Amino acid sequence: MMSQPIKNSLGIFPKSWSEEHAGRIPGNIPIWVGILSELTEFGIFFAAYFIAKFYYPEIFAQGPQSLHTSLGVTNTIVLLSSSYFMAKAMSFIRINNKIKCERYLWLALSCGVLYLIIKTWEFHWNTLQGFSANTNEFFTVYYYMTFNHFIHVGWASCAILWVIFRLRRGAYSSAEHSGLEALAVYWHMIDLMWILIFPLLYVLR
Amino acid sequence: MKHSIKLEYYLAALIVITLLNTFLGEKFSSTTLVSILIALTVTYKGFIVIDHFMELKGANKNLRFLMRLYFVIFPSLIIVSAFY
Repeated sequence: MMSQPIKNSLGIFPKSWSEEHAGRIPGNIPIWVGILSELTEFGIFFAAYFIAKFYYPEIFAQGPQSLHTSLGVTNTIVLLSSSYFMAKAMSFIRINNKIKCERYLWLALSCGVLYLIIKTWEFHWNTLQGFSANTNEFFTVYYYMTFNHFIHVGWASCAILWVIFRLRRGAYSSAEHSGLEALAVYWHMIDLMWILIFPLLYVLR
Repeated sequence: MKHSIKLEYYLAALIVITLLNTFLGEKFSSTTLVSILIALTVTYKGFIVIDHFMELKGANKNLRFLMRLYFVIFPSLIIVSAFY
């Protein structure tokens, strides 16, 4: 039996979902299985938020006022910038400019690390203010969501390092860069989750 | 590098919307209109990232549909929650 490319080897989707019928799949199918699983996981977090807010509207109206909004805004801008750098890295690998691709990957990684530092400082600041996951229902949901997101940024930052290593070893080119693209779409998914988390926890009263 | 210039434009738009959302939340707390505005801008931000950073515009239409649907469902719940 002939070996098939990975994009065609997972017969778990209907034919209408194939690249021939529905269009190109950025990255590869396994990363999209992962992304859709992560979206489901975060979807459960968001559902928990709305259910808790329904039962404790006053606590959820007060909650965002207890947080360090400036740190939340800064982290949002940092993550949006990281997504931009990742998109730029993709645009440069497509024209086989590996030097600029690597440069933008380092910038994306720097944003990821900066996010982790700011978030760690924010958790520390919360502790100094006397807030913890047990303070009230808002903070339980806050830590549940943000710590989970923190972990995702952490391991995706490690994945950027791995991709930089692979890029240096010549694994990616303008002709073949599906691994790099898989990381890029995953990174954008993490950014998308923060786009939803930020208004829920820091803005809406 | 037309695509690249567009990316800069979208990044600027995303940052401006983020700052605007924060300003709305800080200055006009607890109004239904503010929640609706924030929900709409969250949807818009999501669509920009999905279409232009994730590059799903012109890619697999089912994946794009699912991603965009996510950014319709949860911002809609923001609007619903404004009426609690």
